[in-house]
Order: sequence, then C-alpha cells, then structure tokens
Amino acid sequence: MKHAIKNKLVLLFFAFGILMFQACSDDDDNNIDESPSAAEGSVELKFDHVWGPAEANFELNTEYTHPATSEAITFTKLRYYVSNVVLQKSDGSEWREDQSYHIVDVASDDTNLRLQNMPAGDYVGISFTIGVDSARNVSGAQTGALDPSENMFWSWNSGYIFIKAEGNSPASVDGSFTYHLGGFSEPNSAIREVSLDFGESTLRIAPNTEPAVHLMANAARFWHGGISLNDMSNVHMPGSNASILATNFAGGFRFDHIHN
Amino acid sequence: MICVERTVGLFVLLLFAAACSKNDGQEPSKASDVFEVPAHFPPPVYHVGEVGIGSGGFELGKRLFYDSRLSRDGTISCGSCHAQVHAFADHSSALSVGIDGNISKRNAPALTNLAWYPDFMWDGGINHIEVMPIAPLTDPNEMDNDLSELVNYLQQNTAYPDEFEEVFGSKQIDSQKILLAIAAFQGSIVSYRSKYDDYLTGQSQLSALEMDGKNIFEAQCSSCHSGVLLTDFSFRNNGLDSTFADAGRATITQNEADMGKFKVPSLRNVSLTNPYMHDGRIPTLRQVLDHYSEGIVESKTLDESLRDGLALTEAEKDALVAFLQTLTDYELLGDSRFHEP
Repeated sequence: MKHAIKNKLVLLFFAFGILMFQACSDDDDNNIDESPSAAEGSVELKFDHVWGPAEANFELNTEYTHPATSEAITFTKLRYYVSNVVLQKSDGSEWREDQSYHIVDVASDDTNLRLQNMPAGDYVGISFTIGVDSARNVSGAQTGALDPSENMFWSWNSGYIFIKAEGNSPASVDGSFTYHLGGFSEPNSAIREVSLDFGESTLRIAPNTEPAVHLMANAARFWHGGISLNDMSNVHMPGSNASILATNFAGGFRFDHIHN
Repeated sequence: MICVERTVGLFVLLLFAAACSKNDGQEPSKASDVFEVPAHFPPPVYHVGEVGIGSGGFELGKRLFYDSRLSRDGTISCGSCHAQVHAFADHSSALSVGIDGNISKRNAPALTNLAWYPDFMWDGGINHIEVMPIAPLTDPNEMDNDLSELVNYLQQNTAYPDEFEEVFGSKQIDSQKILLAIAAFQGSIVSYRSKYDDYLTGQSQLSALEMDGKNIFEAQCSSCHSGVLLTDFSFRNNGLDSTFADAGRATITQNEADMGKFKVPSLRNVSLTNPYMHDGRIPTLRQVLDHYSEGIVESKTLDESLRDGLALTEAEKDALVAFLQTLTDYELLGDSRFHEP
C-alpha cells in the first residue's frame, strides 16, 4: 500500500511538472537549455524472439513443434509489457528509466526499446518487469503505452493484460489458444521481474554512440515443464494458470550480447 | 491516504503558482465548478477534476456523455440508459437495450455520488471512476465501440479538437482525455438535496409515517444500506436464488464464497430506479420489501442477516415505502447543469 501511495505521488509530481512546463513555456523559454548533457547517452534494447533450446528464429504464423510436448503450435499474436527498466552500473549504482512502460509486439517490425538520457559510464546488468506494476493498475486512465486503446486492458475487471499470446494448435480442444495474462493482486499476481547480468560484457554509454543490448525471449517457454495445450488453451483472467504461464514466459529471457 | 494526497496536491498547486510569476493572483481553475462535497457527506474517494484536466472539463464530459456518436453505429449515448429523470438510471427497464437491440447483462445503476464509490458495477470489477466508461463503450451489447476508433472519430470531428484544446491545452485527443472529461461530468453528479437530507441537516421534518419508516429502516436495513450514502459498498447474496445464473462477485474474485453476491446498491432516489435487483427482476419497492420479508431463498452464500427474513408487517412496509420516498432528490432531477446540451 505504501508503495502504491509513493507511486501515486510520483505521478502527481510528474503530471504537475508537465503542467508547470507548459504553463510557462510561452514566456520563459530563454531559460531552458536544450543541448544534451555532455555526460549522457542512449542504448537500444533489442528483443530477439526465438523458439526452444535450439533458439530457432521465431516468427508469427509459422508452425513450431514444442520440444517437451511435441505439440504443433502456431502463434498469431505475441505482445507484452516491458516496464520499469533499471540498468546497473559497474560502480553499483542504478539508472531507472522515467515513465518506463513499453509494449513489445512481435507483429511489429520494431521490437526494440530505445532508452535515452542515461548517464555515461559502464553498465553490467539490466532488470525489468514483464507486466505493469500494481500502482498503475489502480490509478485510473493512463496514456502512452498504458493507453487502454492498446487493447491490453480488461474493461470489466480493471487491470492490464501483461502478456497476450494467441494462436493455433491441433493439440487444443478447439484448435486454438488464447493466453491473456495479468493480475496484480496476490495470491495470483502475474507481475514478473527479470534480472539479467551482462557477464563478461560491458555496456558502454557515452554521448554520440549507439550501443545495443541483445536479449533473447523464448516463446516456447509458455509450456515449460511440459504443459499441454490440451489442458491449458484458454486463459483470459487473473488466476493460478495466468500466474504459472507468466512465470514460465518471464523465465525465457536471457542476455545474449552487446554491440558497443 | 486521502489526507496525504490532499496535502501533496496543495503543495503541488503552490509549486504551480510559484512557477509562473507572471500569472500571479490567478488560481488554476478546476475542471468542475459543479462538484461539491456536501457538509453532511464523508470525504470522497475521487477528487473530481483535480488532476490532469482543466477548466471546462465538466462541459466537455457532458457533451461526450450525451453524444450517441460515441457508440459504434451512432445510436446509443451514455445518457440513453442513464436518464436524469431517473436519477441517471434507465427508464424503468430491467435490462437495457444497447446496440442492434442487444440486451445488457445487468440492470443499469443510478450514476449519482460516484465520487464516493470504492469500485464500480454490480460485481465491483472496475476499480476507478476514470476507467469505468470503457466497459459500456466497448461492450458488444452496449455501445460496442473501439477506443482507437472513438479517438479517431473525435479527432476528425469539426468541433471536438478545439473543445479538447480548451480543456487540455492541446487538440490531440486520446482515450485518457476522453475518460478524464467523462469522469469530471459523472463524478459531479451528487445527490444530496432529498427530503431525507433536509431532515439530516435540520432543515425539514419527516411526517409521522416517514419517521416510523426511518426507525424500522435503521433497525432492519441500515446494517447494509448504511450511512449517508445508504450503502456499505459490500457484496452480499440477498436471497434471490438457490443456484446462480450470474456468479456476481465471484466472476471477479473466482472465489466460491462470493457466488451470487452483488454490490449493496445505494438507496438514494430508489423510488425512481425501478425495477430492482442486479437483473431488474422485482418491479416495485413494495415487492422488494415482500422479498426481504417473506421471499428469501436459501443458499450457501446467503447473507447471515437475511437467513430468517426480515418479517415485516404490512404496516411496517407502508412506513418503509414512505421513508424510502424521502430519498428522492427532486432538485437533482431538475438541475439544468446536468441537462442534455
């Protein structure tokens, strides 16, 4: 609860910060320094989607065979929230992206997130949430990636759909599967944290460079442990099944490499 | 929580004022001049029009509320099923007729005093006043629209972009602005001027019969229909069925113990919001009292307080109906600020 209040306060401050800026922009422009700080840079976060232990290139509308169940699976949609991105510096400090809410959509040509205005330096790891923190699930109408017109929001049972995976499989009773995964309340919260260490690699942030971090997201992981589509083909509300599938999918992210 | 937010809100407002020295003396105008917290009410849950929306938000929200073009085929507005003459409930319909003649799942509730609601709908599934309209706007049996298409429609309209600019400082429309504006209007509908309110504030007397009804009400009904809002906002099974065609609260919680439970409705303006219950199955107030007195149906999740029925005499029912009629807010029904523009 304290967490929720804090988030709400931060929101309030942010909202009014914008108001203040807008209200004064007509007459006070000359005080605003628009040149980027010399000590800042940006990075491209690239989500590469793969299938199974062999990490075959993953695409929608292509049939794959699940390595554990041997069931044939074709995705028609895979969309999910990546939020509250944090990068860890080599000196132990952290950089947190402001207003950090993104949708990764495999149907889109661009599954990259661009993080900007980070302090220059060496970074050794990243963490993020698959889903949307509980505060934003209970704070009313949102905008940007959290705009309900993204169709990632339940109208009748308020809350964000963190992950949408849809497709077809002959193993399913009705020939298809629909996973709309979400839920921000215990015992069935589907909010999942992912923390990835860069290992031997270092991300170097500096002005005028365009480094990229490549992360792998494994779509076969939904059925990790051998879950059959015959048993679980329709999940569209918070509950224990949504929680299991969210854990599985979030376990399928790994760090691959960095281009500095 | 409310205190913390208020304090911070005040602090931020001060910051806002301090940041714009050239606007000295001009307080930021609120989105709704209509919303007020009656002196005999508790503090609201939602502070209408205080964050993210500017002056004129109420008027813009009113236009949207009454605009049938918000539905997919342009035939149904919010006001179609939430009529001011019925305290913003439907026109005596058990279930509401939506798009293509489709029928809604449950009885349309009265939209008054929403700023005091902790959650919305008969099953409490919606957790915030701002996101509440998404359900009727997109429900295939109600307005069946798509939020992106709704935004596009308003953006292409000749008048709306200018109106949004006046309220939000930009012609760019998004769903958040639409929802904030509707919340500024809906949240401002406060029913607090009934004969019962006048009695509570010492401005009017109840008749002997009404007073009898009030005493019976306080003894028999007010454990659920409590306080000045006449509801405790809890979810209860009030003995309508032994098996449940509509799982009610359990639809949201997935908990067997919530089967057949629905939100205790506010009784404000109850004589205008017939028919009654979540599916509108009981036509009159008198029959509602008959139900609570002699018609309670046993089931596992039946509310303990109703297990034996309320055992009201016919004279007690007469008195209760007379009291319930004092909850009608005639000033609200005729308040031109809420009229369809």
